[in-house]
Amino acid sequence: MTQEPLICIVDDDEAIRESLRLLLFAEGLHCAVYDSADAFLADKSTPPFDCMLLDIRMPGTDGLELFRILNRKHLPYPVIFITGHGDIPLAVSAIKLGAFDFLTKPFQEGELVEKVRAAIDDCRSSRQHMLELQELRSRVDSCTPREQDVMRLLAEGLPNKGIAESLGISPRTVEIHRAHVMDKMDAHSLPALVRMIAALEAE
Amino acid sequence: MNKDSDQVTPTNAFDALMDAAVDAIVIIDEKGTIKRFNHAAEKLFDYLEQDVCGSNISQLMPEPHHSDHDAYLERYLETGKASIIGQGREVNGLKRGGDTFPMFLSVGEIKQPGRHHFVGIIKDLSEVRATQEQVRQLEEQLLHADRLVILGELTAGIAHEINQPLTAIAAYADAGCKIIERQSAGLGGDINLICERIGEQSRRAAEVVQRLRKLVRSGAVSKARHDINQIIRNTLLLFEFEVKRSNTELLFYPLDSLEDIYVDEIHIQQIMVNLVKNSIDAISLAGMTDGRIEIHVRKEDSELLVSVKDNGPGVPESLRDRLFESFFTTKSQGVGLGLSICKTIAGAHGGNLQYAQPAEGGSEFTLSLPLKLIG
Repeated sequence: MTQEPLICIVDDDEAIRESLRLLLFAEGLHCAVYDSADAFLADKSTPPFDCMLLDIRMPGTDGLELFRILNRKHLPYPVIFITGHGDIPLAVSAIKLGAFDFLTKPFQEGELVEKVRAAIDDCRSSRQHMLELQELRSRVDSCTPREQDVMRLLAEGLPNKGIAESLGISPRTVEIHRAHVMDKMDAHSLPALVRMIAALEAE
Repeated sequence: MNKDSDQVTPTNAFDALMDAAVDAIVIIDEKGTIKRFNHAAEKLFDYLEQDVCGSNISQLMPEPHHSDHDAYLERYLETGKASIIGQGREVNGLKRGGDTFPMFLSVGEIKQPGRHHFVGIIKDLSEVRATQEQVRQLEEQLLHADRLVILGELTAGIAHEINQPLTAIAAYADAGCKIIERQSAGLGGDINLICERIGEQSRRAAEVVQRLRKLVRSGAVSKARHDINQIIRNTLLLFEFEVKRSNTELLFYPLDSLEDIYVDEIHIQQIMVNLVKNSIDAISLAGMTDGRIEIHVRKEDSELLVSVKDNGPGVPESLRDRLFESFFTTKSQGVGLGLSICKTIAGAHGGNLQYAQPAEGGSEFTLSLPLKLIG
């Protein structure tokens, strides 16, 4: 499912909001703009964004504070902070808190678009990854508990006989479970199954 | 030597007085002819008594008095109305060689049978005036220095204020280039809008510079009619960044009626900048995140009262008496002249600057300015 990327801009300076919006529009990227962190939080119907451009200094709830709030809600998109000259230490804290990147005003030619595109790509690939994991999880859930046991031991590298001994069932039963597992997990080979389990365990 | 010369006869006493006097003494008759010219007058005007006696007094006066003196005398003799007799006045004198100088002249009348003379006693004001002028210049330099110091402290804010429109301009310009590309590819985009916005933002940056140049300007006091609300608004614009940075609330309650005051705009702004900066510093030093500064303008009787109130820690009672002293400061980097300069400026405008602690705590400085025209 490919949608148009959507960027979110949060900045209290009208000229900066508008100029960034126009610049991204000229690059074929659409934006939603907010003049404050509070205005953003108050909007309950925020669409899914691919990237957020966030001013680090704003009156009221500032950029870092909003970022912390979004982190607590496990926001699924990268945030690029907009900083002024004296804000480098703040920007560094932001990166440590998990921000994708930061830009210092005034922006170098092409810098903004470059970083936004990088953020969008990052977002898309991590979204893709999330979707894949979700798919894997639902496949695992569709296996019975016994099938899950077999799957776990298979991934550990035990032969059928060893699995049968470990679980106290016959090798024949193990084979049946194994077939079901491979089918439900849509794994074409044992190594593929092992990769799937490894991916799930890495999260 | 005979005994007579030891006695102080009336004639001797008079001569002795004339010669001993520190001030210049000139005696003229009713036609303005100089009859006597003492030592001090000789030194002051650079003429010898024998050279000026017999000439008209007007030769010691620059224009317009030079031409008008005869008329003054005539009018007095006819009408008995004098504008200088019995009082004193500051006028200019004319030395030999053509230099004029400030002097204080008092004139008395000598009416005797057969004789109607006038005696002028002259005090040279040259040195006094020169010193006063020096002091005035030094004061102006001091006020100017204070403004530069404040400007230095506001640098981060100033850089930010100019950087914002520059950032927008750069982004608009980049957008413009892209749009032109798109237009040649047949896609949309409004170049006119981009150009308009760039113009607007350029003017926005220019305004910031303009405001600062006014503050930095040195020069003599220049009073004019101003709207106090506007002066304060201009001042508050300088603090947008500081206020944002420290998350302080800065509230302005302007005067509801339109009142012009006759002041030097830069000086009043200087007071406001000092007071607001002090409040911001106090709040920031106390590490407060709920700082609040209120500026109220009210009219009371024939005075305008501008108060700057903050909810900071306030000034401890033990230090309140010393607040307006020169070089008194509690700031590690402070010079301690700000408040004393502000008080001086207020006084020069016929007003005052005072401190009070509000009931709810914090600080409140009140600047009072008379509404009557001065000068």
